[in-house]
Amino acid sequence: MSLTILELIRKRRVLLDGGFGTELIQRGFPQGACPETWNVERPEVVKEIHKSYFDAGSDAVLTNSFGGSTIKLASHGQDKRCYELNKAAATIANEVKPKGGFVGGSIGPTGKFLQPQGEFTEPMFEAAFAEQARGLADGKVDFLLIETQYDLREALCALRAARKVAALPVFVTMTYNRVPRGFFTLMGNSASQCLQELEKEGVPAVGANCTLDSSDMADLVKAMREITRLPLIAQANAGKPSLSSEGEVSYSQGLESYLQHIPKIIANGANVVGGCCGTNPDYIRRMAFIVKKEG
Amino acid sequence: MKKEELFARIEKAIIEGRKSEAEDLAREAVKAKIDLTEVIEKGYVPGIQKVGDLWEKGDYFLPELITSAECMKAAMAVLQPELDKANIKTKTKGKVVIGTVEGDIHDIGKNLVASMLSANGFDVVDLGADVKLEKFIEKAEETKADFICLSALLTTTMLGQKKAIELLRQKNLYGKFKVLVGGAPANQKWAEEIGADGYAENAMLAVKLAKRLMGA
Repeated sequence: MSLTILELIRKRRVLLDGGFGTELIQRGFPQGACPETWNVERPEVVKEIHKSYFDAGSDAVLTNSFGGSTIKLASHGQDKRCYELNKAAATIANEVKPKGGFVGGSIGPTGKFLQPQGEFTEPMFEAAFAEQARGLADGKVDFLLIETQYDLREALCALRAARKVAALPVFVTMTYNRVPRGFFTLMGNSASQCLQELEKEGVPAVGANCTLDSSDMADLVKAMREITRLPLIAQANAGKPSLSSEGEVSYSQGLESYLQHIPKIIANGANVVGGCCGTNPDYIRRMAFIVKKEG
Repeated sequence: MKKEELFARIEKAIIEGRKSEAEDLAREAVKAKIDLTEVIEKGYVPGIQKVGDLWEKGDYFLPELITSAECMKAAMAVLQPELDKANIKTKTKGKVVIGTVEGDIHDIGKNLVASMLSANGFDVVDLGADVKLEKFIEKAEETKADFICLSALLTTTMLGQKKAIELLRQKNLYGKFKVLVGGAPANQKWAEEIGADGYAENAMLAVKLAKRLMGA
């Protein structure tokens, strides 16, 4: 009998995947297009990326569905395809899933605000996420990861929606900025507020991704560990991106300095680690060694 | 109520984001026939500046910033018709055409910069997200803008900032508008390399930069 993702997290440190957008672009994905459409139009490319992460040592990969809510897809005029694109995202990831591997359904933010800052209501957000989660669940993901959330209210909308339509474990990662008073989301939710609220909702694994580099992420993990005993997820960026005038993208941290802080992220209490913007299968391959070594 | 007391109350209403109070105090100022440009300069503007400072320090976050900017807007909606009636021209700090470049649908940062510029007395034309580069230039020409502000969140779409400046050069319009760039992957070095007039890391710094470039 194979383990569920939650059983695996309880048993040992789990490794997720790294950045996806840059991998797509390297394979000819055009600027400004809708990444989720490639789940149907260019599935072989998306599968190749997933496979490269599994080969690098990822225990679980996340589907190409970060912007797959109906609201986000509407910015590309693709909202009518929400179910189809998300189901395809899950199906193709499953096609390259090795034995013992997992596929997590990625659910990113809508990019819009709830009232009063924006025009949207909670039921509108819930409907947008429910359609996405339904597609991911029907494509047979093993779990859902509501990620890169900057508004706790939005994250809770996604959580309610996902639970309504799917009988799957749902994890949540928020994205925090570091300010003198601590770690806060764009909307001003503190790490402790988020963790307490998510724990109260019964979310089985929580954490943070994006925005912070691996050094700041190590500090955040330490702060989060003081607040909750839940399994913690941490996926740091490789620092900040910059672009040369020739169009070369580089990230401020680079591979070695990124990796330097991974043992600390683990020691500070992260149970699930992975990369985010600026990381690639090379990062994950090296992280796999560290994860093994640190136990 | 003494003038100074009114100004202090206005400032506080903006800092605390109380919209109906910000409007009421504007009406009170009108009724008391206080110099409205002074009301703006000594009450409302210091209020929104303090909000920006609190945000930069990490004490305030996006909701507070947006709420206070909306209080400013509401108060100005009361004051502007009175200023027009009295034929008082409030000097705009500058005219801005702003948008997120083509191929990029991210607009949170751009919206924040637009509302803070507007709250700080700039005339802002917001073209939205995924804006054709020609459109920025057309609109800047049409409105005789001082600034073109180009936002981009992605390293791929950020090249649009460079292309927009190239387009200005092709049209012999380079130097006619001050071009400001922003967005997560942008930085000062990038701005210099592509020949932009400035870069700002956040909405408050964008206001400061724009004011500085206007010689204010």
